Amino acid sequence: MSLQSWSADGRLVPHRVSRDEVAALLAMVHHSLEQCRIAGLSPDWQLNIAYNGVLQAANAALLAAGYRAPAGEGHHYVVLQSLLYTVGLDATTVQKLDTLRKKRHVATYARAGSVSDREARDALELIDGICADVEAWLRHVDPEPTGG
Amino acid sequence: MLGQTRLSVLGLLYGRPDEARYLNDIVRAVGAGTGAVQRELARLTAAGLLRRVVRGKQVYFQANPDAPIFPEIRGLIVKTVGAVGVLRSGLEMLGDGIHLAFIYGSVARGEETVASDVDLIVIGAAGLFDVVSALAPAQETLRREVNPAVFPRAEARRKLRKGDPFLTAVVEGPKLFVIGGERELAELVC
Repeated sequence: MSLQSWSADGRLVPHRVSRDEVAALLAMVHHSLEQCRIAGLSPDWQLNIAYNGVLQAANAALLAAGYRAPAGEGHHYVVLQSLLYTVGLDATTVQKLDTLRKKRHVATYARAGSVSDREARDALELIDGICADVEAWLRHVDPEPTGG
Repeated sequence: MLGQTRLSVLGLLYGRPDEARYLNDIVRAVGAGTGAVQRELARLTAAGLLRRVVRGKQVYFQANPDAPIFPEIRGLIVKTVGAVGVLRSGLEMLGDGIHLAFIYGSVARGEETVASDVDLIVIGAAGLFDVVSALAPAQETLRREVNPAVFPRAEARRKLRKGDPFLTAVVEGPKLFVIGGERELAELVC
């Protein structure tokens, strides 16, 4: 599997990105990682905000690699899984992110209050690490190799 | 529909048809009164759905694989309350990391549809990622999403004392115990 094969089967479409676009997404990532630590937030919201941060980080890496995931069903899943091929995250870490994707979905749409403090803490720790990995990777990738 | 005790007994024994369990063990796992469990075991044995085996001084009960409707019941149970046995096999891998685990929501109420997720509360020192990984084979067997919510004991106790709406509702609602039972739950609530 690769980003090219996902593009061939329609899960991704080629995308020409600008440095500004990636920078704007990274600013959202930083904002989310700060906001999710505001005192008094419920664990549901902490997870929700941190999850949004890692989704934007994964999206920034995907765009920098020259692709985007079309909106629609499975969008979050594809963006998070693409970390396997952009940053080169290991399958276990991506699986944990998928657990958080489902957890956040359930807490948002079906079971409000079902995220524990411990789960939110573990989620934030994982997400912090992944976002740092994405940023480190992006520093070595020029999204505009031909300038612009 | 079937009563809660009957469902729980069938779930326990048809969820793990390879296991024979003795009365006290079944009573503890089902979390119902001894008399009620004994009556269900007698009825289900008389109907040919369970096998009663005497070993030494203990009487054991087990799903009867020779029952003509064994495959149908097993299929039905595995996808519904038998989730208990399937989930237990997974969670047991985490040993002392889990103090108490129970199914809540539509499966526990017996109102689930084929598409229903299995909602699970897990109390203990284990983390969410360990629990999810231990439950992966169970999820395959059940062909259903299993949604665990994992709370350390101290956090669950503190939140219940404060009247946390989510935990209070699940603790007061219908449950199918997977690990531990009423005793472990009472320790948490008091």
